[in-house]
Amino acid sequence: MPTSAPESRVHEPLLQVSGLSAGYGKIGVLNGIDFTVGAGEVVALLGPNGAGKSTLLKAISGLLPRTGSIRFGGQDMSKADPGETVRAGLVHVVEGHRVFTQLSVIDNVMLAGYGLPRDKRTTQVEEALAFFPDIAAKRHDRAVTLSGGQQQMLAVAQGLVRRPRLLMLDEPSAGLSPVLVDRVLAAVARLREAGTAVLLVEQLIEKALAASDRVYALARGSIVLEASTGEDDLPNRLERAYFGQDAHAPLAS
Amino acid sequence: MLVSIVSYGLAVGAVYALIGITYNVMFSASRVFSFTAGMLGMLGGVLGALFINTMGMNAVLAFVLVMAAGAVLGLVTEILTVRPVLKSIEQHLYVLSTLAFALMIQQVTAIEYNTEPQPFPVLLPIDPNSWLGIVDQKFWLPVLACVVTIVGLELLYRKTLIGRAFLAIAEDSYAARALGLPETRLRMASYAIAGVIGALAGFTGAQMLLAFIGNQAILNFYGFVPVALGGMGSNRGAVIGGLALGLFQQAANFLVGGIFASVAVFAVFIIVLLLRPEGLAGAAAARRV
Amino acid sequence: MTDTAAPISATKAPTGLLGKLEGKISWIILGLVGLFLPLLDDNYIGVIAQRAYIYWVLSAGLNLVVGYAGQIAIGWVSMLTLGAYTTAALAAGRVGGVEWHPYLALIAGGAMGAVFGVIVGLPALRLRTFYFAMTTLGFATIVTQVALAWKDVTGGGVGTPGPNFPWPFEPGWGFYYFCFILAALATWITANIGASRYGRALVAIRDAEVAAEASGIAKPKLLILIFLLAGAMGGVAGGLFSSLQSYITPDAFTFEMSVLFFIGILIGGRGSILGPALGTIILTALPEFAAPLVQWSTFLYAALLLVIVLVIPGGIADLLDYKNRRPLEQHREIVPRPELLSRILDSKSELSTIALSGIALHFGGVRAIDGLDLEIRSGEVHGLIGPNGSGKTTTLNVISGYYRPNAGQLKLNGADLPFDKPYARAGYRIARTFQTPRLVGAASVLENVMIGGTIDGSGSFAEAMLSLPRHHRDEKRLKESAARALATVGLESLANVRADRLQHSELRFMEIARALMLRPAFLLLDEPAAGLSAEEIRRLGALIKAISREGTGVLLVEHHADLIFDICDRVTVLNLGKMLAAGTPAEIRSHREVVSAYLGA
Repeated sequence: MPTSAPESRVHEPLLQVSGLSAGYGKIGVLNGIDFTVGAGEVVALLGPNGAGKSTLLKAISGLLPRTGSIRFGGQDMSKADPGETVRAGLVHVVEGHRVFTQLSVIDNVMLAGYGLPRDKRTTQVEEALAFFPDIAAKRHDRAVTLSGGQQQMLAVAQGLVRRPRLLMLDEPSAGLSPVLVDRVLAAVARLREAGTAVLLVEQLIEKALAASDRVYALARGSIVLEASTGEDDLPNRLERAYFGQDAHAPLAS
Repeated sequence: MLVSIVSYGLAVGAVYALIGITYNVMFSASRVFSFTAGMLGMLGGVLGALFINTMGMNAVLAFVLVMAAGAVLGLVTEILTVRPVLKSIEQHLYVLSTLAFALMIQQVTAIEYNTEPQPFPVLLPIDPNSWLGIVDQKFWLPVLACVVTIVGLELLYRKTLIGRAFLAIAEDSYAARALGLPETRLRMASYAIAGVIGALAGFTGAQMLLAFIGNQAILNFYGFVPVALGGMGSNRGAVIGGLALGLFQQAANFLVGGIFASVAVFAVFIIVLLLRPEGLAGAAAARRV
Repeated sequence: MTDTAAPISATKAPTGLLGKLEGKISWIILGLVGLFLPLLDDNYIGVIAQRAYIYWVLSAGLNLVVGYAGQIAIGWVSMLTLGAYTTAALAAGRVGGVEWHPYLALIAGGAMGAVFGVIVGLPALRLRTFYFAMTTLGFATIVTQVALAWKDVTGGGVGTPGPNFPWPFEPGWGFYYFCFILAALATWITANIGASRYGRALVAIRDAEVAAEASGIAKPKLLILIFLLAGAMGGVAGGLFSSLQSYITPDAFTFEMSVLFFIGILIGGRGSILGPALGTIILTALPEFAAPLVQWSTFLYAALLLVIVLVIPGGIADLLDYKNRRPLEQHREIVPRPELLSRILDSKSELSTIALSGIALHFGGVRAIDGLDLEIRSGEVHGLIGPNGSGKTTTLNVISGYYRPNAGQLKLNGADLPFDKPYARAGYRIARTFQTPRLVGAASVLENVMIGGTIDGSGSFAEAMLSLPRHHRDEKRLKESAARALATVGLESLANVRADRLQHSELRFMEIARALMLRPAFLLLDEPAAGLSAEEIRRLGALIKAISREGTGVLLVEHHADLIFDICDRVTVLNLGKMLAAGTPAEIRSHREVVSAYLGA
């Protein structure tokens, strides 16, 4: 009988964040955040503008300096830079579909595999492109010729090259038509089936809830709600969380 | 006379273009202009004369060593004068740190080497009477160097992943960092490449410009004009601007004499910049409010 | 929760005669040394001192350009060259055959410097830092080359003799006192400007340009004045130089000299007069006392510059500023006192309105604002909310004059407001704050707030320069208004603290105090609550409400829904650049579409 893994390893979630604080210069945005993402689950991170959702993702991936503890796959990533987090399997697709417009589609995706051995890179690039056949068909076109929605898919494809264990998507639906939004969320569903965990920051609540297992709501730099997506009365609870406990007017139903 | 203007003009223009490319490569990697471009050009000539004339090395070995020196100086520039400043809020500091470093190197050279222009050896053993010798090598060497550099950079950017990584960083360094690209190492590599290009400009141009510390200031300015006119970061603009500048300068030299040629160049430079601060080919920068 | 502000140990400005002397002790010492130096009867030291004075006359002017305005004019030795040759050539009769009297020639040298100072400085208004530095370098080279070529006037490479001044300033100790007096004058003039609203405006342009514009400071006019003055001082220094050297040639004016002036200022520290003076004196005298160093002097200066840039960008002045090292109390509270507003704002009886109609603005392919109508009325707080990218801040930037829309009209009481002229808004008493606080970190909180009242001064630049009474009245009034504004927002105990030591929330309130200095008819606030604690937001809300009750029309761009719903009289919701809904907070709160857009359902 093979020895089983130690208890703590079995129970430790894929991503465990505790006491995370971060900001821009003197402006503190996040105040001691705690949350987790388990292997293979899709977690939605919702919240009004200015709450700190993008800041949270940047703090996790190392794009911003931060204090607190970040553990990924059992390793301490509290001081890691973006290169290290990517190599560990934690990939961050930033908001605004920032692809390199002067380079071709294939070049964009190849760059995501910078540092991998060449054959591995080629294989994984093709895998990533296979998720988005429309983009794959335009592989030699310069990214500037793609529409906003296609650029967003390209950005997600970039995120997939490293076969991440956890993919963090920052508002992938921003500026996309409903059809394209569904396309992107369908890709999220396929990732979930394949065992990839996804942390999804989104503005579109209903669609995000439909795609996720669990949800956190972030407001004014702190987590104000944590729930499974199956729970009752979730939309109303979210609304209250968004507008703060001070909301006096009764909610229109 | 026309032949003389064209040959001198294209040759010195090619040197200016290469220095402009040196500026551009450093700029693309860091969004900062460095005063060390002229310094690299000057050292290309001075070190070449030192190795070949004073120390008796053969031209090929000297060439390799000078290129290596350029790369090293490029690296030192990045580590010592650019990286510390990039982290600071005060943007203008890079002007001063790179200026200070370039000055230090110039002074050391002036003291240890010579303040007067020194002759630069003929590099290639070409018989001036043979068909190869029709055009003097001091004219076509810089032009050849310019062509090789442009082609080399194109190949680098289009055919290698690291070249495309350079392009990515030049376009959007934030997205590049988020993707996990090793920004610092790539920047160091860019500065090393810029160092080699600058040294190449000085080495191939020294048969015309001689080994002279005064070249530092000259190349700093005249190598910058193509960048200002052609647009920051645009190598194509730098080449066109550099060659045009070289031809204009030689024509003006011939027609109205040295001083007025300089005044003319300066006047054109200022007027173009005042009309289009981003250069003839560049894009205007949006203001952050 | 206490109502009174907790006592805070902050640095207090020295007052009274002793206080005034404290800052001046160093100058008094320098002055006495200079006055009595001739007693040593050492010619060598005398020459060094004269050279230091002359360099300081130039550097004092350059200090305003580099240290205060932050313009990197590296090739400023060109002013010395111009002044020297103008004075020498005129005095020697090389122009028009008439020998000018040395004093007139000196004045002409100054005038030449003034003219070319402006010419060289003009590109600074349009060019990036490095480009401008390059143009000054190019100009310096040109001047030297012209000096070489124009043999008739300059003597070409051979050179030309410099003038001797008549009694009482004859060569020797007489001329020594001439240089001493001019150096003292240069110090006095530049110190006066530095301490005036012009000096503060320069520093504001350097460190917080958009905030300077919002306060009504017009960069071009001010910079041209400074370049004029600095050029004149450089020209006069050049004239003196030609006399001291008694014979000038083009190779006396080297690039290394330019660097020396520059380094002297930076070692001394930006925004200070004493620091650069000491720096210049040290750098001039140093090579003389360490003979082996002469050859390496430029190398050492460059190395010193590198060290300063990397390690102590603030220079000597920063190191000497021990007043600002005293620790501040940790848990400070901001307690605004809205009841003081009536002392600042005059309640207007006439009502004004800012009206936007059909405003559209696109950047590239993105429609930032897509046909917007909006009204801001006196006495109302109008909230502007919407998801990220909806165009809120862009709208504010259009109203405050930073962006020019592609279509639509912007009117104040029916008259068009000009676009692309943010510095004109202050004249209309339209004030604003910024999404990220803009401040002059090295200046005190009080000075930062005083910047907001720059346009209210009536003393001219010349009056400030010569420290005339009207300038003093201005300063007194400005200080009092600023103190009142700080008391209103609750920051009076931090008045003399360096602004970059403040916490983020305090900086937000400081921006409001600065905006209040305009006695605004309209106040545009760009996310003032970002980064504030819940209690601070509550106090901010009360303050904004009180400001509007005094008659000011407030536009509040915000993310914090609770603040919006608490204090706004009207709310407009933007989405993708278009108005999604407009009405009272209660109407908006229950508007289904708004809630969806916000929550993104």
